Amino acid sequence: MIELTPVKLFRILLGILFVTLFVAIFRLQVVQGKYYQQIAESNFVRLRRLTATRGEIYDHKYRPIVTNIPSHNLYLTSGKIKNLPALAALLNRYFEIPESDLRSMVEQNRFRTYEEILVSDNIPYEMVLAISEGLNYFPELNFRIGSTRHYHYPNHFTGYVGRINESEYQNYRNEGYSLNSHIGKTGLERYYEVLLSGKDGREIVQVDAQGRSLNLFRLEKMIPPVNGLNMVLTIDNDLQNYAAEIFPKDRRGAVIVMDARSGGILAYVSNPEYDPNLFMQRISTDDWTALNNDPAKPMLDRVIYAAYQPGSVFKPVTGSLGFHKGIIDRNTRFSSCVGGLQVGNRFFRCWHAAGHGSMAFVDAIKHSCNVYFYDLSMRLDLDDFKGWTLKNRLAVQTGIDLPNERRGFFPSVDWYRKTYGRNVSITGHKVNLSIGQGEVMVTPLQICAFYTAIANHGNWIQPHLLKSTFGRGRLSKDQIDPIKRFKLPFSSSTMQLIHEGMFAVSNSPGGTATLVQVQGARVFSKTGSAENPMGKLTHAWYSGFIVTDQPEIVVTVFMENAGGGGSVSAPVANQIFNFFMGNYDVIKAPVTIPPQFRQPEDAADPDPSAPEGGEMTTPPIPGASSDA
Amino acid sequence: MLNRKKFDFTLAALLLILIFCGCIAIFTASTSKLGEYSTTMNYWWKQLLFSAFLIGLLILLLKLPLPIFEALVIPLYIFNLAALILVLFTPPINNSHRWFVFYGINWQPSESAKLLTILMASRILAKEHLSELKQLIFGFGIVLMPVILIIIEPDFGTTLVFFASLLAMYIAADLPLFYVLLIISPVISIVTSVYWLVLIIWIVLLIYLLMRARLSWVAITVAVIFNVFISLIMPVVWNSMKEYQQNRILIFIDPMRDPLGAGYQIIQAKIAVGSGAITGKGWLQGTQKNMNFLPEHHTDFIYSVIGEEFGFFGSMLILLLFFLFFWRLSTAIGEIKVRERKIAATGIFAWLVLQAFINIGMNIGLVPATGIPLPFISYGGSSLLINGLAVGVVLKYLNERGFMK
Repeated sequence: MIELTPVKLFRILLGILFVTLFVAIFRLQVVQGKYYQQIAESNFVRLRRLTATRGEIYDHKYRPIVTNIPSHNLYLTSGKIKNLPALAALLNRYFEIPESDLRSMVEQNRFRTYEEILVSDNIPYEMVLAISEGLNYFPELNFRIGSTRHYHYPNHFTGYVGRINESEYQNYRNEGYSLNSHIGKTGLERYYEVLLSGKDGREIVQVDAQGRSLNLFRLEKMIPPVNGLNMVLTIDNDLQNYAAEIFPKDRRGAVIVMDARSGGILAYVSNPEYDPNLFMQRISTDDWTALNNDPAKPMLDRVIYAAYQPGSVFKPVTGSLGFHKGIIDRNTRFSSCVGGLQVGNRFFRCWHAAGHGSMAFVDAIKHSCNVYFYDLSMRLDLDDFKGWTLKNRLAVQTGIDLPNERRGFFPSVDWYRKTYGRNVSITGHKVNLSIGQGEVMVTPLQICAFYTAIANHGNWIQPHLLKSTFGRGRLSKDQIDPIKRFKLPFSSSTMQLIHEGMFAVSNSPGGTATLVQVQGARVFSKTGSAENPMGKLTHAWYSGFIVTDQPEIVVTVFMENAGGGGSVSAPVANQIFNFFMGNYDVIKAPVTIPPQFRQPEDAADPDPSAPEGGEMTTPPIPGASSDA
Repeated sequence: MLNRKKFDFTLAALLLILIFCGCIAIFTASTSKLGEYSTTMNYWWKQLLFSAFLIGLLILLLKLPLPIFEALVIPLYIFNLAALILVLFTPPINNSHRWFVFYGINWQPSESAKLLTILMASRILAKEHLSELKQLIFGFGIVLMPVILIIIEPDFGTTLVFFASLLAMYIAADLPLFYVLLIISPVISIVTSVYWLVLIIWIVLLIYLLMRARLSWVAITVAVIFNVFISLIMPVVWNSMKEYQQNRILIFIDPMRDPLGAGYQIIQAKIAVGSGAITGKGWLQGTQKNMNFLPEHHTDFIYSVIGEEFGFFGSMLILLLFFLFFWRLSTAIGEIKVRERKIAATGIFAWLVLQAFINIGMNIGLVPATGIPLPFISYGGSSLLINGLAVGVVLKYLNERGFMK
């Protein structure tokens, strides 16, 4: 036998391996060359993306707020462009897309030349017809039916979706977004993007020109899309539309209506409003400039994104600190109000020039006398005051399920020293702060949440818009992201006094909001008129709640530079309260799920989320303080 | 330094030609042409830079005195082991923990591990005072350590290459062939356990071969029983595996099971290569590459770009170049007389051959997709440098021929 040296062995093996390769390559390129050329040319094998349906948004009675509607979309496959200038002319003519935009679109996608780029969506049908005639000359263009969002009324809480931009795509590409995906940009659409978007599926397209299936794969595998979850909000469309309607159109401000027992938001209005549908079609430069340059700032969400001096609606905070520290009790009286109070070399005014005389806490609330609180403030320590404010969840984010909530502000001694110098006199500032003026800033939502806690005898519940989801799964808001609960730091006797004061505001002559009268319920109110650097007139605040045999709703109305809270904001709240009580049976009726939304597990109990009627049960909160 | 008579110019020339072809291929692979538009990513000149750097390193290596070189092997091997452990703690890239990334440079410790492990193992195997069994075990151990760390990364392809290398080194170390047979028999038993007819043929063949090797009857019986046992318990082991583990193995064997994932790549590669037909589509004209059907076309799938644009002529040219290169390398093995170096050269040979075979096979749909690049051609600093250095080591050994050990 010939000696098999290792070298010879290796050469033999080498030969075998390479002959195998040679044969395989020969087969592939020479024998089957034409076949593969055919496939390659016609791109018959492709991954096609199956778009998931985005979740829709409904109010608590399953009435639509945001739904999907079909849209005609135009797509461009940059790899097939034959005549770029002609294409640019067409796009410019119909969509105002300049040639430079087209070039940069192609440039951006130069390594994804077979993917379809969305040129424009939600195209009006007449335009579709007009363009279709010329499509023969532009094989790189094609129409597809997609879906777009329809927002049923102008509002600030749904936000809107838009096409994903390059940086978002890089951040989220592992989550399955494509270049043409919609992504929530603001509001609920953005906050709950993960719930609403679902996940696209994929399938392999493998047919030849005659539609016959090519047998390249032994198994036809498809990954079906996972549709987004639909959301049921706490919003009541009737109440929402009513509040938006009656809010004076020429005023800038906000209205919030919260359910006193669940913390759910029934109405969320920021005026002026804007129509999110504007963003669903390619917004023209003129429209966009108009929106941005409007001095009334319609895009500004005044409920959570703007902070203002609270004025007198802040007084319960001052007062409760006084009780907590034992500085006052229900009978304590301070200096007499003579239209103001002399503090050092300055005269701090009360709103009632004639003066209120001397009074105790409940009356001070009823008349909203400033002097009582000026006096109290001089006995309070500023940093204590700040800590107390924060404990009452003011100048603190509420954590509502919307993005970009502002925190507000309450100054500290350090802050004053840094801003005004070491020798600043704190007293004067404290005096201002005691009546909610000066540097203190809160958002209307924080005020509403605070007063909801008061309505609830001290249980602060996180305001939220989402109630539950349905579709692929029924989950309550608590199950998705637990609703935070805190206890306000004052005692039940203090709470009692505040209730008394607020009751007197509307039900006792001399109260600052006696025009708020509601059939069938007791009204508890607080008004505020905050001086501010934004203009001559004060900010007008109203915040109050109504109680039948249990607390029902809390309404906060705020208007920038509109005048007195009692004269301007209170009437709006009054109308809302009366609308609510007038339609009580309708609004509070138990929700029946419409048949098309029912799911097999709904057999017994319709909704797993927080109860709408009946007893409110809140768990005991740790950290509750309780002293008189 | 360069001994005119001893230095193997042919081998060096073939190496340089391959690298040059690689740079050209990378250029077209990273160029996307669109009508009159054409953009190139910056991979190809990075490869040029690495090539120049490699040539510099090779010159240094050849100048390095041999004793110093040999002394460095052990510390470098240990350092590499440490690196292999550390890399497991770096953030994953593409779902595997393989790379260290600093300042745009990626280093794969599993790449350098190949060379260093071969050098280490060859040292052990060369020690003639060790019994054959001990050589076997130590050699195995040296290889096993990095391999375990690599499998965790995970990187099955490289693992396979390691073991094949080891096997080749055993053969070169004149370990009796039957040892080799015994080692790989369980693997064959596992594979053939699927079809009982093939299994029976295999067992018979095994007995015959062991008899030819003049093993004692006791040894033969033990070996056979062991193999039969392995093949019989395979079904039990299989059923006890979880479904996702089974799937992994199935997909590895038959990528068509995952047509939307790994299988898709293989199909696209085949289409690219096949549609190149005889003459190819032309320089920079590859439609599959341009239309981005093929991912990774400058790294693992570069051969398919060559096949697509240059057709049968192009793919055969590269195949021929590799064949000539490896043939020359096998000659080199014969010419190196020092035992340890001979074994090392064999290991290097097996490693490079297998890498080339697996990568090309993957590009034509013959072999399942694993992340193995094509030596000297695929883009990749680590792999180019290490593969080049490996050839450099062989050149160095050749250069020192004839001197006293």
